[in-house]
Amino acid sequence: MRLYRKEGNIIEILSFPNENVEKGDYLLIENGESQKALIAQVIDVQFANIPGVLEELLRSLPDGGGLIQGEDVDPLEIAPHITYIQDSRLLICKIRATVEGEALSPSTSWLPSRSQSSVRKLPISMLLKLARVDGNLPITLGVTKENSLLTIDASSLDGRLNIITGKKETGKSHLSKLLITSLLQYKAVVVVLDLNGEYAGLGLTSDGKRNAYYNKIHVLTPSQNFKVALKQLHLNVILNILIHALHLPGTSAREFRRIWQFLKEKDSLTLHELGEAIRNWNCNQNVRDALFSRYYALVNSGFFTDNPAEATLLEECLIKAREEGGAIIVNLRNTSPIDRQIVVEYVLGKLVELLTSWRLKAVFLFAEEAHLYLRETYWDDVVTRMRHFGIFTTFITNQPDTIRENIYRQADNIFLFNFTNEHDLEVVSRAARVDAETVKSIARDLPPHHCLVLGKVVRDFPIVVKVRALDVKTMGETRLFFKEVN
Amino acid sequence: MVIEQYTITTTSKYNFPQNPIDTALPQRFIELSLHSLKQVQNQTIQLNQQTIQQPLNSQETLIAQQSNPPTLPIPLIPKPEPPTTIAAVDTSSIKLGETSKGIIVAVRGTTVWKRAKNYAYLRVGPFIFHITEDNIQEVYNALLKAYFPEQNPQASPGFLQIPVRMANLLERWLQFSLAKTMSNSLILFDGSLTAGTPDTPAHQLREILATARSMGNTVLAFTKVTTLRFNGCLLTEAFPAYRPPCLIAVANIKPKPPLTLLGEVHVAKLARGNYAFRLDIDREVPAPKRVEAVERLLGNDLITQGYPETLRLAHILCTFTANEVIAMQHFIQHRYRLKIIDRPDMHRLLFGPFGKGEIHHEIV
Repeated sequence: MRLYRKEGNIIEILSFPNENVEKGDYLLIENGESQKALIAQVIDVQFANIPGVLEELLRSLPDGGGLIQGEDVDPLEIAPHITYIQDSRLLICKIRATVEGEALSPSTSWLPSRSQSSVRKLPISMLLKLARVDGNLPITLGVTKENSLLTIDASSLDGRLNIITGKKETGKSHLSKLLITSLLQYKAVVVVLDLNGEYAGLGLTSDGKRNAYYNKIHVLTPSQNFKVALKQLHLNVILNILIHALHLPGTSAREFRRIWQFLKEKDSLTLHELGEAIRNWNCNQNVRDALFSRYYALVNSGFFTDNPAEATLLEECLIKAREEGGAIIVNLRNTSPIDRQIVVEYVLGKLVELLTSWRLKAVFLFAEEAHLYLRETYWDDVVTRMRHFGIFTTFITNQPDTIRENIYRQADNIFLFNFTNEHDLEVVSRAARVDAETVKSIARDLPPHHCLVLGKVVRDFPIVVKVRALDVKTMGETRLFFKEVN
Repeated sequence: MVIEQYTITTTSKYNFPQNPIDTALPQRFIELSLHSLKQVQNQTIQLNQQTIQQPLNSQETLIAQQSNPPTLPIPLIPKPEPPTTIAAVDTSSIKLGETSKGIIVAVRGTTVWKRAKNYAYLRVGPFIFHITEDNIQEVYNALLKAYFPEQNPQASPGFLQIPVRMANLLERWLQFSLAKTMSNSLILFDGSLTAGTPDTPAHQLREILATARSMGNTVLAFTKVTTLRFNGCLLTEAFPAYRPPCLIAVANIKPKPPLTLLGEVHVAKLARGNYAFRLDIDREVPAPKRVEAVERLLGNDLITQGYPETLRLAHILCTFTANEVIAMQHFIQHRYRLKIIDRPDMHRLLFGPFGKGEIHHEIV
């Protein structure tokens, strides 16, 4: 390989057919005398622009488009050299860092000699060592192309905003399950907003037996084993539900606040009493109607109960998980959109309450297709307020444009699976931690279960990994009409 | 100590089912090529700055006079019967670079033939030679002797002419091979049938034509660009009114000695569109047979832009592409450990963008 050209932080390297270099590979460009080296990543492989190639191809097809039959007597064996030159490739690489001694710096101000420098493939394992992608809390994501393990540090997910995205059936949920179970090993508290009931089997092996996480997985299904009594609710939480999930206007919310305080003082915070209070409250008829409609929405959700024995204490689950780690899976599978928002508002409100009072240290929140249940203002909260409380969110989506641009800009880690759609790639490429060319070029060619890992977990060296298998029961599979036939 | 031992073997027949020609490997070419290249090891090489592929041969300056009565066109009727094999030969040469002692040149030749509806080719080479002041005489005469043993050794050409002369030698050999192995066919040459030049000694061409005739073949030689003039006009532009396909015999050409015309000169307008070529047909062939040969060509080959496809293919297949030039430079650099040096190009240095060399031809 020979260094050919540099423009900005793009470097072009001439590679010959016997040098097996592919997209995503890392190259080390060393300059013997200066004791410095550049680390560059191949983001595209093109044919080198060799003069005369077009003529070469054209003349092999002069006979009406069919190959002309013939024989070449090539006593000096020049033909392999022609093929060698014809098949030479141009590697379009992004400069990722400069190595000086043992230290890495992101600087690209230095340029190695074109004539004297040597270019060689840098094994991912060596790159990880150089970049110090290790730590005390290893999470093995899978294997790289070179069959070396890619192990990240759990602490690099701590306090971070993560995005797992890719098109359908590429392995997003599988990776998030891997991260959840790995975090559980380190006694982390995880809350999963499970839209399709995919995470309910996390505590079981693929053949249905209990696995090591069984006791740490708590599946809460709203209106089944997950109900709350009004008494357990803080006024702010119920107001958030009413305002954000049920769109209660401000005037009505003020009246509701009064009713709530009145009932609380009487120690009679029940659904029945709340309904009676609204009926008898001295207020404008329109306000009463507004309050009644929201009241019935709460009642019909089945999420609220007056029976203390039925009420599940989310707080208890979380506090229990605090000691040994645990995952609370909020199964939203059979929940209507409005009820979903009610449940999510409750869960988030409860989390903030526990975190602000320091009864919980921090929580890893995994949110699948969050645009289907998160209110608009929450997106800003995620990047500004929530992480200060200790909620570290991982968004999982196959529709990258449903996540706001500012989330991408602030994302610390992105786990990117295959996308072929230009528009989707365009959206993801807005992430601050990676350049658009890398995203567009590499993500398009990722096979299923291969993921481009970007961000702090890999010290900003984008790495393609084949996500390792996980022995957990698969739930939430697509229901198929022709399953038995096939 | 022997560093590299080359095993040079001759393959008597190539394993090619439809090959109609005697394809005894030009063994002498290979031997001389390898031998000359051995002397080049570890030297420096300046790659060619102005790549010229086989420049136009210095053509004879011939003038034809209007005959009396005036020349009339011979109308042509394509004759697909009897089915006739059409064969063509072309060669190419190129200078790859300069060493401290000489130049490195490459030569390649192609024969193409069309039988029924199928084209086939045999491409020989490239042969790469390191030509120095010391070996120029030896290489050229050794090749000459190997292929035309009856011919007396000649004064070797200079460095400038050697690539073309070596290509000519290979071309004559390929023509001779076709002439003696094909029968009842049409053999197309690139160029004229004018002999007596250092490139084309008269007796050499005479022998080729005689051999072809003895096998029932007719030789037709097409000249793409001619300097031959007829009544002051360029020969190929002298008959704009004649409708193709037709043949116009050009008589009364009196070449200056030692030049000899071994063919009857014609202007061939074989297709629509104002394309006319000088066509020389073996003059020992009777006149009606000459016309019939062109009619058989029309009936058995594709004629586009007035030029036979077989000959066009022969040219296309032997021409060196830029890619091949790089590959050959790569070969000699790696096999013989030549170190490439980059002497400044004086034309570029002195004249900047205007410095394109004295004869500037881009290779394809």
